[in-house]
Amino acid sequence: MVLIIKDEYPDKLFREDGKRLDGREKTELRPLKMEVGVIKNADGSAYLEWGNNKIFAAVYGPREVHPHHLAKPDRGVLRIFYRMATYSVFDRKRPAPGRREKEISMIISDCIEPVLFLELYPGTAFEVFIEVIDADGGTRCASTTVASLALADAGVPMKSLVTAVAVGKIDGEIVVDLSGIEDKAGDADLPLAITWFNDELSLLQFDGSMDADEFDTCLKLGKEAAEKIYQIQLDALRSKYISIQESVNQSSNTSGGDE
Amino acid sequence: MEEDESEVQEDDEFEDEETTRELVVPGEVLTEDVNNFLPGRGTILNDTRDKIISLHIGLKQINKNYINVIPLRGIYTPQPGDKVIAIVVDKNPVKYRCDINAKDDAQLKPKNTARRGRPRFGRGKDFSRNQRDDSNTETFDIGDILIVKVLSADRLNKPELTTVGKYLGKKNGGIVISIDPPKIPRVIGRSGSMIKMLKSLTNCNIFVTQNGRIWLRGDNIAYERLLIDAIYKIEREAHTSGLTDRIQAFVENEKTKRGIK
Amino acid sequence: MMDVKRVISTIERKYIVNNLKKEERIDGRGLWEFREFQISTDMVASAEGSADVSLGESRIITGLKYDIGEPFPDLPDEGVCTIMAELLPLASPLFERGPPDEQSIELARVVDRGIRHADCVQTKKLCIKEKEAVYILFVDMYVINHGGNLIDCGGVSALATLISAHVPEGKYTENGIEWTGNYLMGEDIVNELPLVLTYGKIEDMVFLDPCLPEELVCDGRLSISVTEDKITSIQKSGSATFSMDEIQMLGKKSIEIGKELRNKLDLWQYKVKIE
Repeated sequence: MVLIIKDEYPDKLFREDGKRLDGREKTELRPLKMEVGVIKNADGSAYLEWGNNKIFAAVYGPREVHPHHLAKPDRGVLRIFYRMATYSVFDRKRPAPGRREKEISMIISDCIEPVLFLELYPGTAFEVFIEVIDADGGTRCASTTVASLALADAGVPMKSLVTAVAVGKIDGEIVVDLSGIEDKAGDADLPLAITWFNDELSLLQFDGSMDADEFDTCLKLGKEAAEKIYQIQLDALRSKYISIQESVNQSSNTSGGDE
Repeated sequence: MEEDESEVQEDDEFEDEETTRELVVPGEVLTEDVNNFLPGRGTILNDTRDKIISLHIGLKQINKNYINVIPLRGIYTPQPGDKVIAIVVDKNPVKYRCDINAKDDAQLKPKNTARRGRPRFGRGKDFSRNQRDDSNTETFDIGDILIVKVLSADRLNKPELTTVGKYLGKKNGGIVISIDPPKIPRVIGRSGSMIKMLKSLTNCNIFVTQNGRIWLRGDNIAYERLLIDAIYKIEREAHTSGLTDRIQAFVENEKTKRGIK
Repeated sequence: MMDVKRVISTIERKYIVNNLKKEERIDGRGLWEFREFQISTDMVASAEGSADVSLGESRIITGLKYDIGEPFPDLPDEGVCTIMAELLPLASPLFERGPPDEQSIELARVVDRGIRHADCVQTKKLCIKEKEAVYILFVDMYVINHGGNLIDCGGVSALATLISAHVPEGKYTENGIEWTGNYLMGEDIVNELPLVLTYGKIEDMVFLDPCLPEELVCDGRLSISVTEDKITSIQKSGSATFSMDEIQMLGKKSIEIGKELRNKLDLWQYKVKIE
């Protein structure tokens, strides 16, 4: 049966005033919101809204590995399970995890592993579950960002957070933080993640075509964008405790005033 | 076992004078002065050895020339000598498997469950049958809550427990709640001040253990619920100062509000 | 209370039972009281309707997707509404990865039957052309946090999702199906508002809306779906047995509590407006 509305791509990805379709400048990020400690049952959790992306991440562990043969006797393992809800994309996704989800899980796990001290937890696993409730481009970057935040919330010792962002080329121009349409209709897509303890890249994929100069600009813009996101990550992590601190100070001030 | 008292008289490191209220996050640079400071608990020297960075979300503490970070979240790591609350999750003839809220389950061997006092001989046991005499050891069932002491714990082997000792053994009543293990020192307070205050205000027996579990029993559920709320409030506000006074005010306030005297 | 573990401690059960005998519950509620519901809808942009419902600490995010397919041969002019539930391993250490297990299938089935038999979804309006094309609605529930009584939470969540629906309306032409530019809205699809009420039973005590520790120690559960004045489905699960008197009492009570809850939630406020 024919679909009623086709998922059509526009011809042009820039408006006449030179801005992108959603009204952003070339290096502007979509609105970002992060929160930690949203899932009470988990050892650590985080929630992220990045444009239309809505993603939950929860950390359990260190705990026993199932199936048992995956356990390593000398070190812990980091297992990431990236999943998308059936209703998070335009056409209903099949409920069972597909190849794409498995690949992204592996990519994220490899990306976050360098900041952890897995050798301290032999025979156990950290399991991070990522659930994409709503997707609109750049979910692998958003998932990496939120997973590292959840791990920090769980109190897992880590050298630093990890921040990921996608840079790309649409209609011949380099732009930062591709949205869903720009990702599909654009010319190139370069997701990258930075581990802040050594300022190096730990996730890098590239699809499309670019010359060497454009690639250099991409990396530079990506780093700048990631720095902005990193600050939001840190604020989210701190604000859980700072808001409590402030409410405590406030109530003690008001009660002091009554006396 | 009504006389149970928490023996843990640990210093409240959150209230330590050297603890700044400065909240630090993983990867945050604590100091670049590596000549005068050394990395302590919860911190490392970075790869180029010119900065000390934090590993946790926590509070910065300077102790002599060590920089420590007191974590606000984290798992319990068993240490020999710790008294913890364990739950029996599996048993077989040679050992009980116990969950102690650590990364590995701990084991409790029957030889470590010997009863206190004189061994009981005979007592109607038929020794002519080739039966194992276990009358000198306690027996537990799956689901039992035990207060145990950690005998040995290291990174490679499963921790070993014992129920032989003062205050140790099976609990028959009350309720167990769990909080984040790093916040346990705050529930105890400096030399036990918080716990004493809670006990006297709510008339409940409390046993606080290092793995984040707290056993409590009071005269009625209203008191128990109040105490549980107070403990959760301590957990939530563990990183703030002046906690003991605020909790005292909270408990007294709530007592009048809820109409319990 | 204590961490959620596979083994429930014996004293936890004793504590809950002893207090229930005195009509006291561990979270201070009355025996026939619900925890607080928190509802927000239409926050998933990709879905044709969505709801985020919390009941105490339980939280379920549900989304609606549609497809066009052929009707069942015995119901040639009726659309289809299927309900699926997934207990994400993210929500609780008790949930495991892998294909849906009994628990998640039960959750989906109980919610589905409550909605199906209450004449809630007007399936005749989901027909585009008889015998050729009908809407298939997929209501997919994702459990984000498990705090007990997922069935009641899921029931409200599925209902709020259907109410917030905005499915593109199609018309049948020779070239296939074309979009009319209009939407089928929640009020076109939903007729009755069935609510599921779950009771826990420990020994001979029955109570409404078991929270997680209560659910883990209870012997059995009874879920009753009610509309304004009718009982539309019942599911008994767990190893407890219920007496005739109890069931009669719970049936009457359900309609009463259901009416109160329906007024309190005022689910029609969550319908979506499209310019």
